[in-house]
Parts: sequence; structure tokens; C-alpha cells
Amino acid sequence: MAVTGRAVLAAFALVPVVVVVGAAGPWPVAALIAALVVLIAVDLALAPSARAVAFERSGDTSIRLGETATVELVVANPARRVLRARVRDAWPPSAGARPRVRDLRVPPGERRRIGTELTPQRRGDHVAAGVTVRSTGPLGLAARQCTHTVPWAVRALPPFHSRRHLPGKLSRLRELDGRHSALVRGQGSEFDSLREYVPGDDVRSIDWRATARRENVVVRTWRPERDRRILIVLDTGRTSAGRVGDVPRLDHAMDAALLLAALAAKAGDRVDLLAYDRRVRAQVRGHGRGSRVPAFVQAMAPLEAELVESDPAGLVAAILGERGGRTRRLVVLLTDLDPAALEEGLLPVLPALTSRHLLLVAAVGDPRVAEMAAGRGTARAVYAAAAAERTLAGRRRVTAELRRHGVEVVDAGPEHIAPALADAYIALKAQGRL
Amino acid sequence: MTAPAAAPASAASAPSSPGPRALWRRARGPVALVLALTALAVVVSIGTERPPEGVLEPEGPNPEGARALVAIAEDRGADVTVARDAATAADALTGDAVLVVALPHRLTRAELDRLAEAPGDRLLVRPTGPALEALAPGVRMTGRVDDGALDPRCDLPEAAAAGTAATGGELYTGPDGTTACYPADGGAALVRVPVGGGATATVLGTRDPLTNTGLAAPGNAALALNLVGTGDVVWLLPDVPAEGGRATIWELLPAGLRAAPAPLAAALLLLAFWQGRRLGPLVTERLPVVVRAAETTEGRAALYAARRARDRAAAALREGFSARVRPALGLGPDAPPDTVAAAVADRTGADPARVRALLSGPPDGPDPATADDAGLVRLADDLDRLDGLLR
Repeated sequence: MAVTGRAVLAAFALVPVVVVVGAAGPWPVAALIAALVVLIAVDLALAPSARAVAFERSGDTSIRLGETATVELVVANPARRVLRARVRDAWPPSAGARPRVRDLRVPPGERRRIGTELTPQRRGDHVAAGVTVRSTGPLGLAARQCTHTVPWAVRALPPFHSRRHLPGKLSRLRELDGRHSALVRGQGSEFDSLREYVPGDDVRSIDWRATARRENVVVRTWRPERDRRILIVLDTGRTSAGRVGDVPRLDHAMDAALLLAALAAKAGDRVDLLAYDRRVRAQVRGHGRGSRVPAFVQAMAPLEAELVESDPAGLVAAILGERGGRTRRLVVLLTDLDPAALEEGLLPVLPALTSRHLLLVAAVGDPRVAEMAAGRGTARAVYAAAAAERTLAGRRRVTAELRRHGVEVVDAGPEHIAPALADAYIALKAQGRL
Repeated sequence: MTAPAAAPASAASAPSSPGPRALWRRARGPVALVLALTALAVVVSIGTERPPEGVLEPEGPNPEGARALVAIAEDRGADVTVARDAATAADALTGDAVLVVALPHRLTRAELDRLAEAPGDRLLVRPTGPALEALAPGVRMTGRVDDGALDPRCDLPEAAAAGTAATGGELYTGPDGTTACYPADGGAALVRVPVGGGATATVLGTRDPLTNTGLAAPGNAALALNLVGTGDVVWLLPDVPAEGGRATIWELLPAGLRAAPAPLAAALLLLAFWQGRRLGPLVTERLPVVVRAAETTEGRAALYAARRARDRAAAALREGFSARVRPALGLGPDAPPDTVAAAVADRTGADPARVRALLSGPPDGPDPATADDAGLVRLADDLDRLDGLLR
């Protein structure tokens, strides 16, 4: 139950009345207080039951982060009295639910539909916490209250800001493919088909055996390899929890991974996803053709960086132990170039991975460090610049070490990591190294 | 792992607040526990009522109490009536009862006068001046003795039978007809004077023989029991006099105002309930950790600044510069600083010795860059200038 401001006002209004009446003895005072108590009790008894109210939900279940979802709530009043209620549809604070509370009047036996707008500030599943109804009596003095569980969840998906880079990268991919009008011998190394010689074609690509069987000169065409396998690995360990700008490294990594996945799917390659810190946290296996981006987005949505040190040995074992993990793949590891973590963790187990697969390490650099490195003028700024140079030197050292092991390294700021990773992929494809 | 469905299908709503039955189920355990504890406390407290304690308290087992004396006297046939104020004592006094005035200083003059009119013998224990004046006229306090044990040296049967007793304390002198026992310098510790009507007043200068501890000393018990006697005894232990008869401010208020706190308290309770009742439970959320990626770098910068680690800072700045310019100079990452310095001097036309000093410190003597903070700032600026020339 609950009382309203009106009941409190009435109680305070009683005080001066008692001061006047109190001279006549204790009985009138007791009668006045009893009257107020009786009024509140009667009002409480007359208020429609808050437990009996029924709810039903409908609306959006998944949105991209930054968009607004609308979840509708149908409030049904099965009682024979009018329901005058204050309804709170509770969501976790970061779901950004609006409005928090609303007043509602539902005639007997009728239903009312109310909408709650959610603007989540964080990626992941936002689960409705419960609906609280406070049903006020006809006198407006007291109310009955009950909280109902009305399950619903809205999943905020990764925003995939980098999809604006997709058209540009796709056109670069088509250039490789030869479908773009370019009078060059198709780059790539995979045999595609035979066609008639056209003046301007490279004479080295003439297929003499086929020419002998026909009247015309026939050339072979080449195209970039297709159906290569790519494994995108998200490191969800402690180094991914650090915030670059106001966004964790992991989210920047997801953005880059999504662009790469979309690009590779268009290029006809098979993309798998693995999120790992000390155990497998998410895994998506590509099956045949078709874009796996929606599945990736769903798998990434609830991922959060864990405050544990990643286990590269376990990661390598997980990659090699996968079904078909022995066939050559491009393994794209999205992590941080943290010297301590990589030198002690990844480098010792690197040969096992690079002997079978091509490894590409992509890391999000922090513009704040670059900003600190450029600091001059005061002693404090120069000390900060020195510390930033130390950090950068560590990254350079790790990068050089990785390259010595034949690992491709992409190190770019948060704005550029996604296109840089896409470029690295296209370059590898152009070189036929997949 | 395939991603789970983002949201459950619209499931039926169910009340999650506890209903009356659930509330009762939840509350009955604690309520039963509180009731059981209360019952236990009541049972335990029965029979363990603390006896009153105080000086010459007839029921007090404390060292200064007089419970032992009263109990022994009752065993010997005395009928002890305890009076807590002078009026009760005076009413209880009949002709043959002995009045024991334990703490006479608590009695007012009016009460003393009332007692003086009562019949019977009196035993005054260390009386005050007014008490002596009213209840044992003619007796005056004339001295003190600190030595405990005194000899009776008189023919008062009570004292003579008791013999030596710890009666040292205030000493009195009485008028003619006084029996004085336990004499010392300046008077006697026990005096008995007739007070008219055949009654006597006995004045004892110390409480010790009557107390629970004092009773054990030789002679004390005999003296105390002899003095109290075996007849009716009225033991007067006056309560501390309380002031009375004045109206408080509260009683002077009008009746209406006096009735106001009840509704005011009720209104405040309602106000608290109105504001305190939350519309549904708090919603909890697992918050992600917020840690900036550059935090370790910033921490290192603060450490450098705090410890004035100019040598390390300068080395880091120089190494950063070398790493930046090496590719532009066509040098490999393993090129030693001297090679870099030579190449930089070659490209910019600067003095090679100066460039080398800038990049790896002077070959002899202290490094100006690490001498003070200004030197470090200058080093950073010099490196920047050199970097600008190379572009």
C-alpha cells in the first residue's frame, strides 16, 4: 500500500483543528484521528486491486546502439471499478527508458496501451525489470501497489559505424576481381575460365593447348582466390577493456571486425568469429555462402571485456582444435599491442599458429598517447611526452617482433582501424597470400 | 555458438510483489523469533530482581548495606518494619518499638520534629546537628577519632556485653544523666540520653558496626544487635527528598496545544511513509569497468614528474625521435644512435657534434638535458626543431 500527498495534507490540516478542539477533552481529538484513519482504510479498500491488473508487451527486440526502440505495454483492468493508476515500467538505468512514470486511467474491463522509448547507452541485452502499478482509491488518499514481472528484452547491437567505408572497399575489391573494367590481366592466382583473345590481352596468358583445339586464340583469365577461410578473433581480455575515447577497445575492434566480415563475405570468403579471453566467449562458424554479418552482430552484442589476462596458449589451442582448424586460414587477431601481454603470452606460442595459418594482428592505438607525445612547453608536458614515447616504443618493439615472425600488423587509431584492416585484407588478397 | 534469441516472446505477466499470504510467510519466522526472545527474557528476569543497594539499606547485600543485621535481628525475634519516610515511621512507632534512624541527614526539620513527638527509644546513627537537636536534645558532637576499636568502659549493658568494638568515629558529649560509652579524646562514641516519657535516645558515631562488612569485626555484631534489640524495630531509611509542588511548562500549556503532538506525529509518520514508499524496487545493473586505455601511460608520466626522472625521460624522447626519423633517413631499425646522428647532420647540414650531443648526450661531462627540468624541455624543443628540418 501507499498513501498519497492528499492524505498527508489532510493529516497536517488536522493539527490546527486539534489545537482548537483539544480544549474540549481527549475524545474529540481521538475521534478526528480515527476519522482520518477510517477514511484512508476505506479508500484503500475501494481502490481496485493492483495485483489483478494484467499486462502484455510488444515492440522492438533489437536495435543498433544509438537508435531508439519502442516497447509497448498493454495495461488491462479486469476489475469492476475504474483503475486510476501510476505505472512505472522499470528498465536498467543504461537502457535510457522514457518516460519513467506515467499516470493512467483505465475504465472497467478496458485496456490501455502505453509506449516506453528506450535509447540504450550500452551495447548488450537490456532486460525489463518489472512494471509497478500504484492503484489509487476514489478519494485519492491511499493506494494499493504491486510490482509485476512482464518479461521483455531489447538487444542493443554493435552500431557498425564503419559500414560507411563498405562501398569504397567493395569497389577496390571489384578492381581485383577483374569485373571492374580494367585492361589488366586479372590479378590473383586462381584459374577462372577461358575466353577469346582480345587485342591488348597479355600474351603470356594464352592457353596454347585450348587454342590448338579451336580456331581462335584463347586466353586464360585469372581471378583472386575465392572460398578462402578467415577467422576473426576478438580478444576480450583486460587489454580490451581500456577505453579509447569513451568507447572500450573491444567496441572499436568489433566495428573493424564487422567491416572485414562484410567485405570478406562479398569477396566470397568464409568468415568465422571467435571471442576469447580464458575461454571461448562467443563463436560463429560460417556455413557455405552468404553474409554472416547478422550472426556476428548478434554474437557480439552481449560481449563485454573481462578483467582477466588473456590466455594466448589456450587461444591457439582453440583455433587449431576447431573443426577444420588444420586447413590454412587467415587469422585476424584483434587485440592490443601491449608489450607485456604479447611478449609473455602470444610470442612463445606464435610458431604453432604461424606454421599453419597466416596471422594478422590488428590493434587500436590510443590518440591520447599521441597527443601526450606531442606535449611540449612545460616540464610536466615533457614528462608526459616521454612516458608516451616509452609506450610507443613498446608498441614498435612488439610490432617489429611480430613482423619478424611473419605476422601482419595493423596498428591504427580508433577512426582508422576498420578501413586499415580492410585495406590489409584487400592487399593480402591481391598478393594471393590468403 | 549461435546467438540466442534477442528477446523472449511476449510472455504472460505475473505479479512479483509478495501478496498478504507471502508477506505473512516471510514475516512469521522473525516475528516468532522476537516473541520467543521476549518470552525468554521475561522468564529469565523473573527471580533475578536486583535487590536494592545503598548505605544501611535493610535489604541491601552490598558492603554498606544492613541486610545481615536485619536478618539476624529477625532471627532473634525482632520484628523489623522498614520505613522510607518520616511519616510512615512515626505512624509505625508504638510505645515499645525502637526507631533506628539510619541516614538522618536526609530528614527535613519538619520531619525531625514529627519524629521527636513519636514515642519509644531511638537509635541515631551518625546524626547531623539538627537531628541531634531534635531527637537527642542536649547531645553535641565534640570530636572525632579515627582509631577504629574502642573499649566500652561504661556500665551500659549493651556495650559492656559487647566489649571492644569498632566504634571509632564522631564523638559526643551529653548533658547530665547521659550514659557515655567508648570514650576517647573529646567525648564518647556512644551516648544514651533520656528524652522523656521513659524513652531514651542512643547516638552512635559511626555506621560501621551496623553494615554487612562491619558486622564481622569482633564486638560489632554484639553491639549492633544489642542496640537494635529483640522487640519491634522501625528502620527508617529516608528516601532522598524530592522537590515537588511545582507545575511544569507542559502542564501550563493550553489543553488544545497539549493534544497537538499526537496528530502532528501521525502527520509526520504519514509524510515519511508517503515520501519513503518507492514506486517499485530499485533496478540493479552490472556496470562495465571504466578504465582509460592511456591510464598506464599517464601513470608513468606522473611517476616521471614526481621522481624528476629526467634521465629516463630524455632517453625516451631521444629514442622516440630516432625511431621517427630512421625510415626517412633510409636507416634500419637497428641503426646505432651515432649513425642516426651522422645521417641527420648530413641531411640538415647541422654540426655533427651538436647533433650527436643532442641525440645521445655529450661524450664527456654532464648532460645539459638532464641537469634540470628546463634542460629537458629544451631537449624536447630541440628535437622538434630537428624533426622539422628533416621534413
